[in-house]
Amino acid sequence: MAKIGVYLEVDEKNHCLNDVSFELLSKAKKMKNDAKKINLKDNEFDIIAIALSNDICQDSVKKAFSAGADYFVHIKDESLNVFNQIVFSLSFVEYFSSNPLDIIIFPATFQGRIVAPRITTLLETGLVADCIELDLIEKDEKIMLAATRPTFGSELMATILSKKNPQCATVRPHTFIAQFDEVADNFSDRFFEYNLKYPLQPTGLKILRSFFENVQDEYFENAKIVLAGGMGLYTGKNREYYEKLESLASKIGAKIGATRKVVDMNLMPKINQIGQTGSSVDADLYVAFGISGALQHVAGMKNSKKIIAVNVDENAEIFNYSDYKVVADAKKVIDDLIDYLNK
Amino acid sequence: MNIVVCVKQVPDTDDIKWTKENNLDRSNMLSRINEQDEWAIDYAVSIKNKFKDVKISVISMGPMQVIDTLRYTLAKGADDAILLSDKFFSGSDTYVTAKILALGISKYLSGFDLILTGQMASDGDTAQTPVSLAQLLGIVDATNVVEIYNADKNNVLVSQKLGSVINMIEISTPCLVAVKNPCKEQTKPLIDDYIRAQDSHIKIIGSEDLSLDKEEIGIKGSPTMVYKAYRPEFVKDAVELKEDYIQQIVDFMVKVNE
Repeated sequence: MAKIGVYLEVDEKNHCLNDVSFELLSKAKKMKNDAKKINLKDNEFDIIAIALSNDICQDSVKKAFSAGADYFVHIKDESLNVFNQIVFSLSFVEYFSSNPLDIIIFPATFQGRIVAPRITTLLETGLVADCIELDLIEKDEKIMLAATRPTFGSELMATILSKKNPQCATVRPHTFIAQFDEVADNFSDRFFEYNLKYPLQPTGLKILRSFFENVQDEYFENAKIVLAGGMGLYTGKNREYYEKLESLASKIGAKIGATRKVVDMNLMPKINQIGQTGSSVDADLYVAFGISGALQHVAGMKNSKKIIAVNVDENAEIFNYSDYKVVADAKKVIDDLIDYLNK
Repeated sequence: MNIVVCVKQVPDTDDIKWTKENNLDRSNMLSRINEQDEWAIDYAVSIKNKFKDVKISVISMGPMQVIDTLRYTLAKGADDAILLSDKFFSGSDTYVTAKILALGISKYLSGFDLILTGQMASDGDTAQTPVSLAQLLGIVDATNVVEIYNADKNNVLVSQKLGSVINMIEISTPCLVAVKNPCKEQTKPLIDDYIRAQDSHIKIIGSEDLSLDKEEIGIKGSPTMVYKAYRPEFVKDAVELKEDYIQQIVDFMVKVNE
């Protein structure tokens, strides 16, 4: 039986799993089910959820099984109380050396981004970053992980295979959707604790002070409506229509998004940037005003449930990613919306 | 104090052109230094301006054209430069690239105290090579660094921004720091600097210098391979909202807010 490992991220404060963990587990489950349709002998996979932490909250464990885990491995040691990339990567590799995996999926969170390349480098294997799609495909009589990611500023999609096991990929939060199925309560026989044999003490790096700043990821958290502006709102002179977008958003309790170009031109702050180098959103309603639809932007908004695009150019790329389109000058539509709501 | 800065030459991604077959049109593609790597150079130069006895070495991997980028970094204030260039290097993925860089640094720049890199390259966006390089060199890394406050032979003091959290970190040398914020002091080379850079020697290193076997580098030696590349296709067939679209948009908004 081949094994798909999912690296879970544990919150340091409440010891619960971060949401991205469940998204990855649900995706792995879907991959596993799809693989059964491949007409090859070894088309069965087990999903191993792996968490590194001294403590783990039991609700999260249950949720992990419900999201798709077949087995849950809790790599446990006091040295894992606080995240350190060297300690975590070597601890993971210690577990792996006696429990090899064929595929490993990592979250492309801050932790995942620094721990995954260390792990794959230690294992002398490859790593595909920020995948937007993962499939199990048949190639040369084998089932392989096909990991698709945007590259060249998202102008190009590349599907990448790994010649060596473990085949590894990272996935950003909100790329896939977590799905929870009913789970029997007797999952305890599929939960394993792994105590480190060679725990390490962090060296060389000391966090002197930590503080919070209200930025980026949090701004769009749980956003129901996002109104996003592109260069189509630019008058060539000032921020007039971005200010109007702000007032429209505040009227209806929406969050404001912006494209890279708009942010680069200082028409909107960086915190509002949506796309490959900004935030990803999965709003209930996403309205794109004067956005052309560059792929690096689309990458950050395409998971929204309902997308309306307003653009004066009837051939704008953004329409290809939208549920509804309005072919009109976005500036005029904003004026009309404000007038309508003022009535 | 010895600082090594890793830089990459990248295509100017604001100006990508495509062939009829949807391949990248590389014929007229402009190249530039990866923006974040230029910030890394700026940080190195600002450390050099602040403290005595700082030497900056720049290292890059790529085709011979990268010499232009290296000359630019020399004009900005680097002291010497190494170009890892070999036709057998081409097609290396992040792991093999990190391996070649690690070998080059270990062999020619082994006395380094600090390695500076950009957080990620604009053409690949992976942010993997610096972390992989740190692992191969067996040193600690700080990524997502937005400010370097102090750097000496023993310690480097930086702040790191992880989403909404800002960490002030002290790292012992030797270490690697990946920056994702421009340095306050940016050096703009003057004509004299370019003239000086023309005379500086750039060392060219190939696979044989690093005793690397052809089988373990480039496309052949990379654990990952591109299976297919494509420009994304249209995904949805949008319904056009006509005359009463204002009313309809408002209806959608109201429905979501219910």
